[in-house]
Amino acid sequence: MLELRQLSRNFGGVKALDQLDLSVHKGEILGLIGPNGSGKSTTVNVIAGLYKPSSGSLTFNGIDLSQRSTHERAAVGIARTFQNIRLFANLSVWQNVWAAHVVRDSGWTGLRKRWLASGRTARDEVQELLAFSGLAGKADVLAGNLAFGEQRRLELARAAASGAELLLLDEPAAGMNAEEIDELDARIRSLRDQGRTILLIEHHMELVMAVCDRIAVLNFGRKIAEGTPAQVQNDAAVRGAYLGAEATATT
Amino acid sequence: MDFYLGLAQVIGVHTLLGLSAWCLLHTGQVSLAQGGFFAIGAYASGMLTTMAGWPLGVALPAAALISATVAVAVGFPALRVKGLMLVVATVAFAEIVRLVCFNLTWRVNTGSGPVGPDGSLGFGGIRYFPSNGWSSIEILILIWGLVAAVMLALAWFDRSRIGTLWRAVGEDEVAAQSVGINLTAAKVSAFGIGGAIAGLSGGIFAHQVTHIEHGNFTILLATFAIAYPILGGLASLWGTVLAVIFIQGFLIEGLRVLGDWRSLLFGALILLVMLLRPSGIITSPIGRWFARSIRFDRPAAPTTGGKTHA
Ligand SMILES: Nc1ncnc2c1ncn2[C@@H]1O[C@H](COP(=O)(O)OP(=O)(O)OP(=O)(O)O)[C@@H](O)[C@H]1O
Ligand SMILES: [Mg+2]
Repeated sequence: MLELRQLSRNFGGVKALDQLDLSVHKGEILGLIGPNGSGKSTTVNVIAGLYKPSSGSLTFNGIDLSQRSTHERAAVGIARTFQNIRLFANLSVWQNVWAAHVVRDSGWTGLRKRWLASGRTARDEVQELLAFSGLAGKADVLAGNLAFGEQRRLELARAAASGAELLLLDEPAAGMNAEEIDELDARIRSLRDQGRTILLIEHHMELVMAVCDRIAVLNFGRKIAEGTPAQVQNDAAVRGAYLGAEATATT
Repeated sequence: MDFYLGLAQVIGVHTLLGLSAWCLLHTGQVSLAQGGFFAIGAYASGMLTTMAGWPLGVALPAAALISATVAVAVGFPALRVKGLMLVVATVAFAEIVRLVCFNLTWRVNTGSGPVGPDGSLGFGGIRYFPSNGWSSIEILILIWGLVAAVMLALAWFDRSRIGTLWRAVGEDEVAAQSVGINLTAAKVSAFGIGGAIAGLSGGIFAHQVTHIEHGNFTILLATFAIAYPILGGLASLWGTVLAVIFIQGFLIEGLRVLGDWRSLLFGALILLVMLLRPSGIITSPIGRWFARSIRFDRPAAPTTGGKTHA
């Protein structure tokens, strides 16, 4: 569904992404891992349209994304979370999700949809998403006043609310405790079961290995391995670049 | 009594002006163009009632529409700048409008002699109210009726989907874009609606005072416009009303004995509120945002938006 071809992005002399080829298939959970500074967030930012690629192409469901601005990419079905959480801090929890939900119902099509809506209204859907994220009781709390783990959950709910087929999750488990990570694991799976496709960037290896169908590994902006969790875990290049040091450090 | 009636009229007009800036602040835009839109509304409505002989009920909406159109035209280039640069650009616009008022001479002859803008002498004889026998009380009721209508509309709007999108844009442009919000549409629509309200308040102002001139539309007016919602906070529309009552009623009128020192006091007050209560008297988000955004070192959001750190 998403195809990156020979994608590069330079920052001055730094090659944050170096001729990256990556395909995300519909309905899968694809992990994207790599050491700090290997270009994972840059990949998300290029896909979401915050950074322009220096060269290469990216297409989503056959659409050339380079011609689309950030909000248009959201409209065609790409949503994301941020590594450094970016909520609408002074809006309520409910409004955060509502804002992401209503844009897909705006304009003429939205008006028609609302007229013809049979039963499920936008408000019900927002309420469902809040319940799904364990935030139903906090609908009126300002997002900025939430606990850290709740903020991460809200960001995920907001991304899902935009109705996107493809969710780009940039380190959703960062700063979470074991229990919260288990919940996140379940949420990611259930989003996938609802038909979403997920690109998961994570340093938490246990989560990545457990939840991902496939994993791609970056190092210095290059893809050094790709395959099932088992394949990646046993890959010599990966162990050398990353897993060896990381695995002993975190377990 | 007349004094208080006049003061209540001024407060009503300035409340509308403050509400126009309130719209723009919602999308995170600090605009000093509101005084310019106000001037356009004042001149346009005045010319429509005196020179074209339109009734006020038609001239006011027309003036609001003209101001809104100009505001949308200003809103597009304004998209390219933010923070302090937006302040500078909108000041420049307001100053251009003031100079146009200064130079605009267009007199036509009516039954009661020549009327119309007369360059630096200003534009007098906007006597719709007196010639139609309106009393001060009736003018006051009209003004506050308009204030109430605009406040009701904005309160409804703030709860509507577009209001939520405006606030989202004001909170975080990068996040807003990423959930699919069209920044251009949000910011330009805020300019348009804010411009319409400013035009309306300018229109009512022109008829209330009957004589307008470029000196009415200086940078001080624009500063007032933005000061009201900043002092009052964006959390509630009432904050803006209270801020107008405080500034116009107490600071400007109540302390008249202080003469020009009041301007100094006004400036000091703004600074004080920024430092002590960045969220406004009533508390609100955007004051804090404003305090932050006015600093030079704030990076432009889209280019660094996704910058992450280990
Ligand atoms: N806006 C930017 N300006 C300059 N350099 C940048 C920018 N964004 C990223 N980089 C550089 O690009 C490289 C890749 O950064 P990126 O944030 O994509 O890494 P990452 O894999 O997400 O790392 P982490 O695991 O720490 O989040 C780094 O060397 C980083 O310093
Ligand atoms: Mg990163």
